[in-house]
Amino acid sequence: MAAEPKPSTLVQGTLHMLILKTLALEPMHGYGVGLRLEQISQGVFRVNAGSLFPALRRLERDGLIAGTWQATENNRQGKYYALTAQGRATLKRETKDWEQQSVAIARILGASLGEL
Amino acid sequence: MPLLSRVGAGIVALLRRTRQEQELDAELQQFLEMAIEDKVRVGMSREAATRAARMELGSTAALKQGVRDVGWETMLDTAWQDLRYAVRTLRRSPGFTTVVVLSLALGMGANTAIFSLVDTLMLRPLPVSHPEQLVQVLSRYPGEPRLSSFSWRHYEHFRDDNRSFSELLAVSRVRLRVTGDGVEREAVDGEYVAGNFFRMLGVRAALGRVVDDQDDRLQSPTAASAVVSWSYWTNRLHADPAVVGKAILVNSTPATIIGVAPREFFGLEVGLRPSMWLPAAMEPLLQRPSRRVDGSLGVGILGRLRPGVSIDQALAEMKVLDRFRLEDFARSRSAAFARDFTIELEPAAAGFATLRDRFGTALLVLMALVGVLLLIACTNVAGLLLARAATRQHEVALRVSLGAGRARLARQVLTESLLLAGMGSVLGVALASAGARALVAIILSGRDFARLQQPIQIHVQPDLRMLLFTATTAVLTALLFGAVPAWRALTAAPAASLRAHGAAGETRSRRLFGKMLVVGQIACSLVLLSAAGLFVQQLSNLRNQKFGFQRQSLLLVTLDATGSGYRGDQLFVPYQQLLDRLAQIPAVRAVTISAVTPISGAGASRFISVAGFPESPDARRFVPLNWVGPRYFETFGTPLLAGRDFAFTDRGGPPVAIVNQSLARYYFGGRDPIGGRFQFVGASGSGVTNAPPDQTYTIVGIVADAKYLDLREAPPRTIYLNAFQEPRMFVNEVALKTAGHPAAATDAVRQAVRDELKTVSIARVTTMDDVVDGWVVSERVVATLSSFFGGLGATLAALGLYGLLAFTVTRRTTEIGTRMALGASRADILRVVLNGALGLVCAGVAIGVPLGLVSRRAASRLVTELPVNDLRPLVFAIAAMFALALLAAYVPARRAARVDPVDALRQ
Repeated sequence: MAAEPKPSTLVQGTLHMLILKTLALEPMHGYGVGLRLEQISQGVFRVNAGSLFPALRRLERDGLIAGTWQATENNRQGKYYALTAQGRATLKRETKDWEQQSVAIARILGASLGEL
Repeated sequence: MPLLSRVGAGIVALLRRTRQEQELDAELQQFLEMAIEDKVRVGMSREAATRAARMELGSTAALKQGVRDVGWETMLDTAWQDLRYAVRTLRRSPGFTTVVVLSLALGMGANTAIFSLVDTLMLRPLPVSHPEQLVQVLSRYPGEPRLSSFSWRHYEHFRDDNRSFSELLAVSRVRLRVTGDGVEREAVDGEYVAGNFFRMLGVRAALGRVVDDQDDRLQSPTAASAVVSWSYWTNRLHADPAVVGKAILVNSTPATIIGVAPREFFGLEVGLRPSMWLPAAMEPLLQRPSRRVDGSLGVGILGRLRPGVSIDQALAEMKVLDRFRLEDFARSRSAAFARDFTIELEPAAAGFATLRDRFGTALLVLMALVGVLLLIACTNVAGLLLARAATRQHEVALRVSLGAGRARLARQVLTESLLLAGMGSVLGVALASAGARALVAIILSGRDFARLQQPIQIHVQPDLRMLLFTATTAVLTALLFGAVPAWRALTAAPAASLRAHGAAGETRSRRLFGKMLVVGQIACSLVLLSAAGLFVQQLSNLRNQKFGFQRQSLLLVTLDATGSGYRGDQLFVPYQQLLDRLAQIPAVRAVTISAVTPISGAGASRFISVAGFPESPDARRFVPLNWVGPRYFETFGTPLLAGRDFAFTDRGGPPVAIVNQSLARYYFGGRDPIGGRFQFVGASGSGVTNAPPDQTYTIVGIVADAKYLDLREAPPRTIYLNAFQEPRMFVNEVALKTAGHPAAATDAVRQAVRDELKTVSIARVTTMDDVVDGWVVSERVVATLSSFFGGLGATLAALGLYGLLAFTVTRRTTEIGTRMALGASRADILRVVLNGALGLVCAGVAIGVPLGLVSRRAASRLVTELPVNDLRPLVFAIAAMFALALLAAYVPARRAARVDPVDALRQ
């Protein structure tokens, strides 16, 4: 299991991106976001509440997601977060950036002497 | 997210904090429930699931804080929390808070007050364009204060021939009688200025125009013009917008107001606020014979350096140009006199140097003293805070182990320190402005400045730099003494602190540090007290020295006959009648009249040639002169040693003189001076008496030596001539020896003058005591304030000692109980505590005495005539310190002696 995200910019940024991606699939409450992340990554990412909630608050503050109170599956009130238009745009941009970076990093890591 | 909406969101968040908190709580609750249900679904028992979910969630408090920390408003929020917390804690220990805040306030207040005066008198630049380029021209004769006055003709020479200054201005103070339509007749201070005065300063008129070169030509049609000051315009001319062109009478000469100076421009000298500026070319219209025309008008000179010219280069040029002046002196006085004169230049961004010269040293001394006082105050505060931190270590450790963030704790401690510093500075600023006002009042209480007859007004305003200075002191102090406890909160190992409960975390080194602080305070207070003693001693020496006359019960009245219509040779009879009339006032014991009153700062002097005493011209010294009426020596209490006093009947007879002992000894040695003869040599400086130049005087009396020009000189060889024997009467200083307080006779004197001489006015009434006090204003300021600061410092040190001992006694209660249980008597315990205190005082004295001696030497370099070899002030300071320390130690010592051993051991 991966360690909880350290507050470095890269990892913090990554957590934000992952949350945005999760919410892009469907609006979700805090617990659901954590659960979904764990499920999708097959247990590689496990985000504890101490990191999750500040991240949600920050995204909400920056206008990338918006929270509304709705009834949950078992008929309780829960705060559901959904992507805003701005959040969607940010996710798109960050996904592109990330892909470029990871391709570049993969290329560097996979490089053999002949290619250099 | 744009900054604005982010700020907006923060503010909304602050306002909606409660709702957000509730939402967050609900969200977390929801999270927890979902987690539990998930775990139950995979087969856990509900209790196990709840426990596991809670552990996964962790500390909700920390989590919530993490969420809250996302926004900027939380910073403000926690700061506010810390502040409220600090207020609560401080309120719980009012004694500690009071002492700390007062220490800081007094230290800072005193520093700011003195600094604001230093700033006003010495640092603040004039409100003119590029004040940093301004330079004052001064000259110096060995052994005398610097002279700022030059003759107009020398000024013209400097102005026209120099290449160092883009402009050189001249200004001359004058007292004017002003009246006009709607303007009540009044004597005001004015200045004659050269035509380039305002142009050089870059001062433009607020209304109308300023004096220009055209006005300052002799016989210019616009010479009779006046620029009035803003305050004269508002207070006397009712801020009349149509004032330009208004006609006024200046010394009965018609003049036109041509403009109003800008509000911020007060002239060139802090403390003097002339009401109007007149072109120097107007002087011949007011004064006959004119001194502007013959070039003898005394002026102060200020220049503006050309770009790229240094003050040293300018001085080199001025030294060459100064030969003209020195040759003039050599002709009119003597080559020896001229040889010793030098010219000096001084940066004058803050204006003319008179007040700076007079109070600069005093203010620097005071600045040093309050610096030491601030040191004591800060040490005191540091000691108190350290002791407090030690007693609170347990509490801090407890809070750390309960999960308080260390950074947050450190921030709380710092907040508390900053709060203390803040309260201290607020109170300090209030004290400072009150203190500065009081200081100005003391300075102004010497109403008559020697050579500075105008009333002084000093406006001390707190300006940005002063506030910055205070704020910096406050914050630095706070950080300095706040850092130690904060650092300790960060590094303390809670377990160790909790375990070492009894010793309250006091280590040996920390105890030693606390003691060192107290020792340092005692040493510093000793320095302050001994300095104070020194200055008080100096003041008393100055006041009680041998003047050669009695200063008590002397009323001095200056008559002004200029507008009376009497000519000089018509005044003999009226003045004699006035003296007779004054002598009949019941409270008056003796009365006389003279040209010069002693130590008034003004006088006349000539070279003399004594029959039978050959003297080379170079060896000649000026001999001070005074023209006095009969009973002068009786009135002033100067003993007549031989011969006779002057009489009214000398008028018409052969010219007579009375000389003092020093003169008799120098010129006559063992011979009897009575009957000796002398003549004056060289041109008369004033020509006021119209006596023929080759007049021979016969000595008819010898009097004891008395001070003449100023308080600090040794009595010079002096000649007294009979005022009633001169061709013209020009003496105006009436002196009355009274029974009881001299000021009580003032009304009767005024009445007599009104009755006898209807058109002669009274220019000034003062007492000899006031004149003496006027000479020692700066010494009085230093003596009064240094005593005050010394007392304050000693009190603070005593408080510091008391705090340390009280703390020690509390900490050692168990030990004291044990000792008593083992047979120590109460007297033994008392002795132990007092011995501890004595040890500290002895250490403080041991450090303080050498420091005190060194600082005395340093002070004596700044202040001449300090009685540095007098050890009494130091002894007094040591005794005072011991007495205060014993007083401070007595209370805790008694508390220690009253410890009940049973109670103490049970604790």
